[in-house]
Amino acid sequence: MGSWVRNLSGRPINPLSSNMRADPRMQTPLSANLGENESLLRALYADCADVVFRRFAIGGGTNALVLYIDGLTNIEELDRCVLAPLMLQTADLCAWPPSGQPAHSQRPPKTAEPPAQPAQSQRPPQTAEPPVQPSGPPGQSPGSPDPLANLRIPVSGAKPVADIAGAVREISIGGAVLLIDGRPGGVAFVLSKWEKRSPDEPKAEPVIRGSREGFTETIADNTAQLRRKIRSPQLKMREFEIGRLSRTRVIVAYIEGLADAALIEDVTARLGRIDIDGILESGYIEELIEDNPWSPFPQVLSTERPDAAAASLLEGRVVLLVDGTPFALVVPTSLFSLLQSAEDYYQRFWISTSIRWLRYLFFLLSLLLPSVYVAVLTYHQEMLPTTLLLSMARSREEVPFPALVEALLMEITFEALREAGVRLPKQVGTAVSIVGALVIGEAAVSAGLVSAPMVMVVSLTGIASFTIPRYSAGFAFRMLRFPIILLAGTLGLLGIMLGVLAIIVHMCRLRSFGVPYLYPLSPMNGNAMRDIFIRAPWWMLGARPLPGEPINPRRQSGGQRPGPEPGDGQG
Amino acid sequence: MRASIVRFGAWVMLPALALLVLAGCWDRKELNDLALVTAAAIDRTEDDAIVLSVQLFVPRASMSNQMGSIGTSGGDDMTVVRSAKGKTIAAAMSRLQERFPRKIFWGHSEALIFGESTAKSGIRELVDFFLRFPQPREHANVFVSKGEAKKILELLPPIERNQAEALRELSRSRVGLRITLMDLAEMLISDPGHAVLPLLAILPPPEGKGPQQTIANITGTAVFREDRLIGTLNQQLSRGLLWLRDEIRYSVVTFSPEGSDGYLSFYLLRSHTKLVPRIEGERWSMTVKIRTENDVIENTTALDLLEPDVTRKLEAELERAIERRVGQALERLQHVLRTDVMGFADAFHRKYPREWRKVRDRWDKKLPEVEVGVEVDANILRPGESGSIVTRSGNGKRP
Amino acid sequence: MLDNGKITPMQMLLLLFPTIVATAVLLVPSVTERHAGRDMWLSPIWAMLAGFAVVLTAWALHRRFPDETLIEIGERVLGKAPGRIVGIIYVFFYWHAGGMLVRQYGEFVSGVFLMETPTPVIMGGMLVVCAYAVRGGVEVLGRCAQIIIPAVLGMYALLVLLQLPSLEPGRLLPMFEFGILPSLKGSIVPQAWYTEFIAVSFLYPSLTDRSKGLRWAVFAVLLVAFFLTLTNLVALMLFGEMAGRLVYPVMSAARYIVVADFLEHLEAFVMAIWVFGTFVKIALFYHLLVQCTARTAGLSDWRPIAMPVGLLILLSGIWSVPNLQEMIDVLDSSSVFELVSVQLAIPVLLLLVALIRGKKAAAAEAK
Repeated sequence: MGSWVRNLSGRPINPLSSNMRADPRMQTPLSANLGENESLLRALYADCADVVFRRFAIGGGTNALVLYIDGLTNIEELDRCVLAPLMLQTADLCAWPPSGQPAHSQRPPKTAEPPAQPAQSQRPPQTAEPPVQPSGPPGQSPGSPDPLANLRIPVSGAKPVADIAGAVREISIGGAVLLIDGRPGGVAFVLSKWEKRSPDEPKAEPVIRGSREGFTETIADNTAQLRRKIRSPQLKMREFEIGRLSRTRVIVAYIEGLADAALIEDVTARLGRIDIDGILESGYIEELIEDNPWSPFPQVLSTERPDAAAASLLEGRVVLLVDGTPFALVVPTSLFSLLQSAEDYYQRFWISTSIRWLRYLFFLLSLLLPSVYVAVLTYHQEMLPTTLLLSMARSREEVPFPALVEALLMEITFEALREAGVRLPKQVGTAVSIVGALVIGEAAVSAGLVSAPMVMVVSLTGIASFTIPRYSAGFAFRMLRFPIILLAGTLGLLGIMLGVLAIIVHMCRLRSFGVPYLYPLSPMNGNAMRDIFIRAPWWMLGARPLPGEPINPRRQSGGQRPGPEPGDGQG
Repeated sequence: MRASIVRFGAWVMLPALALLVLAGCWDRKELNDLALVTAAAIDRTEDDAIVLSVQLFVPRASMSNQMGSIGTSGGDDMTVVRSAKGKTIAAAMSRLQERFPRKIFWGHSEALIFGESTAKSGIRELVDFFLRFPQPREHANVFVSKGEAKKILELLPPIERNQAEALRELSRSRVGLRITLMDLAEMLISDPGHAVLPLLAILPPPEGKGPQQTIANITGTAVFREDRLIGTLNQQLSRGLLWLRDEIRYSVVTFSPEGSDGYLSFYLLRSHTKLVPRIEGERWSMTVKIRTENDVIENTTALDLLEPDVTRKLEAELERAIERRVGQALERLQHVLRTDVMGFADAFHRKYPREWRKVRDRWDKKLPEVEVGVEVDANILRPGESGSIVTRSGNGKRP
Repeated sequence: MLDNGKITPMQMLLLLFPTIVATAVLLVPSVTERHAGRDMWLSPIWAMLAGFAVVLTAWALHRRFPDETLIEIGERVLGKAPGRIVGIIYVFFYWHAGGMLVRQYGEFVSGVFLMETPTPVIMGGMLVVCAYAVRGGVEVLGRCAQIIIPAVLGMYALLVLLQLPSLEPGRLLPMFEFGILPSLKGSIVPQAWYTEFIAVSFLYPSLTDRSKGLRWAVFAVLLVAFFLTLTNLVALMLFGEMAGRLVYPVMSAARYIVVADFLEHLEAFVMAIWVFGTFVKIALFYHLLVQCTARTAGLSDWRPIAMPVGLLILLSGIWSVPNLQEMIDVLDSSSVFELVSVQLAIPVLLLLVALIRGKKAAAAEAK
C-alpha cells in the first residue's frame, strides 16, 4: 500500500490508516496498569450511558474490569462464561497473559529478542515479555505462539486487544473487553447479541420459485448465509472498516481461483480511497466506487438475496456486504445482469427464455412507448392505419392539449402516483391505488383533459417499467423516457432515434470495474451470449460469463445433458 | 482552462436546447388541425379546368367514452365533400385549402377517381402530381367513373363508413381490376404505354332510400392508350381481361353442359396464366396458357358429379367456356381498341429483345397481327359437399 | 499511438459495412439504373474490384508500417513536407466528405419526413450524438457498431421478407440486352463508393488481432457487394423500369408494403435503418477527420478537438451544395474523381514509393 493509492482529487493516502486517524488517544496501548486504562476508557466514553464498566476481583484477588455496551452484548453468556469463572475462582486459573515461566511447553523459551512475529504495521514497543499480537484481522500466522492458547475462559470467540482502538472496536460490535490489572493489553470476547430481523423474503425481489431467505442488517448473519451456500474454503472474506465515525464493517467476498485478481485489487483500492464520516447503507459505497458516477445507469448491482449473491460469486464476481443493510453489492455488472432476476435460473429454460423476451420487449416499451405515441400523432400521422387514425382523431377532439403536453402531464402524474404509493402507510395505500387507477383515469378522460388512448399508453408504460427486475435499472429507463418524449415532440421519430442512439453510445462508453457495460453483446462473446437472449438450459451453460482470461473457464464438465438411456424399455 | 470551456459550452448548449423546443417543432401537425382526405375525385370542365373534389373525414367527438356508441353505423355526417376549381390540380388544391380551416392531409387517401371527362383528356399530369407530392399514398386505388366523379364521392353507402371505405373494400375483394397509383404509373411509362383502370358506375339505390344511399360498384374496365381514355370493356369482357392478366381471383363460371338440362356453376380456387410468345420468321404468335382449379358449387342438372367420366367431360366444357370469355376480351382489346394491356409487349421483349426493339414504336399496328391461341387446362377438384343431386330422387349407383 | 482503444476484427467489419452501405443503399438503384438499365444488379459486383484494390493496398502498407495510419505512412515514405501535404489533403478530403455525407442524410430525412424543419437542425442533432461517440474513441465506435448494425441488418432482412410476395423475377429479363457494357458503365459510380474502404488503413492499427485484419476486410467487401446487389435486385423486381425514376426506391418500396391490412407505412422502418446506419458512418468519418487532423498537426491528444471538429463538419455540410439536385449531380460525376483519387490513387502511390524505396534500401545494403 504505497503512494499509488490516491483519493479522487489526487492526493496520495494510506488506505488503511485513513479510517482510523482523528483521535490520538486511540493509539495508546493498553498498559498493565488497570487504573490508567480504566480512566482512559472512561474519559473516552464519557456521557455514554450505555457503556457499562464492571469492576471485579478475580477470585477475590486481582482487580479486573469488564466493559461492554448494553444492548449489544449477550449478558447471560458474559455472566456465565466470563464473570462467573473469574469471580468464583482463585487466581492463576487464568493463565494469561504469560508472565515469567511459560505454563505450557509449546511456547518457545523466552529470549532477549522477541520471537519472530508476522510483520504488522502497528506494533507496540518491545517489552520483556513477548509482545502481544496487534489487533488486526483475526487469524494467527503459522509458527508464532498463540497467547490465548492457555486462556482458561470458556468463550470460543476471544481476541487479544493491544490498544484503546482495538478495545473500542471490539465493544462497538457487541464484544466485551476484559482488562486485568498487572497485565498489558486485554482480551475481547465476541459475545454479541442484539435484536435482529429474521431473514424474511426480500420484499424488493420476490420469486415464485427459489429460496425465500434474504439478507438482514447484521453482517455476521449475512456472511453466514453465504457460507452456507458456498461451503468451500475458497470463499474468501476480507474485512474493512469504512467511515470515520460509523466504522461500518464491510466484507469483500470472492472465490479465490475464480475472481480475477486484478478485480479484487481494484475493489480493494477503491474501498480504501473512501474517506467519509459514515456509511449507513451500501448505496453510499456504491456511489463512491462507481466508474461513472454521472451515468443514469447503475454500474453496481445490489441485491437482497443470498442466492443471487452466491451465484454471482460463482461467476467470478465480487460481493460486498455492508453492515447495517440487507443490500449487498455485486461487481462487476452489465446491463444484462440488471435485466435478469434470480428466478430465471430456477425455472426451466423455456419459461425463462420466454419471460426474458417479454422483459426485453417491455423494457423497450417502457422507454419508447409514450414518445412513439407522441411522435406518430404529431408528425407522422400517415403511419397509422386509417381506421385507427380516425378513432384517435375522434378521441382527441375534445382534448385541449397537444399530444406532447398531454403525454408529459400524464407521465409525471403517473410517476407521482407511484412514488406516493410507495411512501403511504399501508392502510391508505390500497385505497389510493384503486382510486388512482379507476376514478382518476376515468374522470380525466370524461372531463376531456386527456384522451383515452393516452391513459392506455401511460398504464402500459407503467406496467412495462415494472417488469424490470431491478428497481435501479428500471428507474433509469423510466427517467430517460422524459427526455425522449421531449425529443419526440420536437423532431418526431427522428428525435426518438437520436435519443436512442445517444443512450446506446452512452452505454457503449460505460464500464463497470473494467468490464464493458454491454458485454457480452459488444465486445461479442458467442458462448456467453447463450445466457442473454435466451436462457440456455443448465447443461449448456458451461462457460463462465465474465470477460478476460478467466482462471477457470468452465463451470461444468461437458456432456451434462440428461436423457433416458437408449433402450430404456419405456414401452 | 478545461473547466471554463465546458462551462461555456454548457451555457451555449442549454439555451440552444431551449430554443429548439420553444421555437422549433417546425413539422408539427396536430391531429385535430388536419383535414383527412379519404378519397379524391377529379373532373374536367368544358373550359379545361380541373375540378378537384375531396371527401374529408370529420371526427365527431363522442360525448362520453363509457356509454353510448360512436355515432350511428353507416355513413352519417362523418364525411364532407368539398370541391374547388383550378388550372392544374395543384392550383385546385390550394384553392380548396382556402375553404377549409384545417390543413388538408393526403396521407390516408385511399381512392382516387378520375371522371370520364378527365380520363378522356389525359391523366398523365395528374398521375405525376400524385407521385411527386410526398403525401399521397402510392397504393391508393385508382378508378375511372362513368360520368362525373364527384357524384360518387357524395354517395352514402349503407354498410361502410364512407364511400372511400366502400371502394377500398371493393378493390380488395379482387372482383374487378385492382390498380394502384404505382401500378398505373408503371403501366404508363412502360413500353406500349397503355393502361387500364376499373370503371365505376353508381348502382341504382334500392326502393325507399334516397338517391344517395347506395354505392358505386365496378362495372367494367376503362382502357387507355397513352394516357387517354379510348374505350371501355363491359363486365363480361373485363373478366376475360382479368384472365389474361393473371389477376383473376374470384370467378364463378356458369354454363349448361351439352346434352343436359340445367346449369352448373364452378367456383374458381386458383388460376395461373402464362404468356408464351413465339416468333417464327415474320410470324408472331402468342399462346395464353391458363391453368385453373375449380370446385362445383351448383348443379341443377341430372349429372352425377362423382363419376370420373362426367368430370372429364365437364372439364373440357369448362375449358371451352373460359376460352370463350378470354377470346372475346382479346378480340376487343387486340383488334378493336388495339391496346396491349395484357402484357404481350413485355413477354415479347423478354424473350426476343432484338425483334421487339424493331417494332416497339409501332406496336399498336403490330399487335393485331399477332396470332393468339388460348389453351386452358381446367381441373375440377371437388364436386362440393354433396355428390349427386339432392333435389332429385336417387338413381345411379351411389346412395 | 494517439488512440489506445482496441477493436475486434468483427467490430471492424461492422464499422466498414455501413460506411459504404449506409449511403449506397438509398442511391444505388437510381444511380446504376441510369446507366445499366435492367442489368443494374450486376454493377455492384463489378465495383467490388475497386474495393479489393483499396483493401489490399491498405493491407500492404499496414504490413510495412504496422502501427501507422496513412498520414504517418505518408510522412515516412515521402518525407516530412510532402507527407504533411498528403495529410492536409486527407484532412480536407474527410472534411468535405463528412460534410457531404451529413448533408445527404439531412436531405433524406428532411425531404421525406420532416419537410419544414431546417436541415441544419437535423444535421446538427446527428452531429451532437456523433460527437459524443467520437469522444469515446474508436473503441466506443466499435462497440456501437456491434450493437447497431446487426439490428439494422435484421430490420432490412425483415423488409425484404415482407416484400417477397410482390417481387416479380420476370422483370429481370431480358438480361444483357445490350451486352455487358451497360452494367459496367453503371458500376463506375459505385466503384468510387467502394474506395471508402480506405478507412481500414486507420482501423488496422487498432485491431486486437492483427493477423485477421485482411481476412475480415475482404469479407466486408464481399458482404457489401452482396448487400448492394440484393438491394438492386429487389428494387428491380418490384418496380421494373420505374426503379430509376424514383429518387429513393427503397423508401417507396417500404411505403408500399401492406401486411394483413394492418401493418402499413413501414417507411419509419426505413428511416430507422438509415438513421442508425448513417450514424455509424458519420461517426466513423468524424473520427477519421479528427484523427487526420490531430496527426497531421502533430497534436499530442486528439480529445480536445473532437467537439469543434463537429461544428466544422456541420458548416461543411451546409456549404457544400445548394440543393438536392446539385448534390445528386455531384455524387454522380465529380465525386467519383474525388473519391478515387484520394482514396485509391494516393495510397497506391504511397505503396509504390514505399516499394521502390525498399528495393533501393535493400540494394544499398547488398552493396
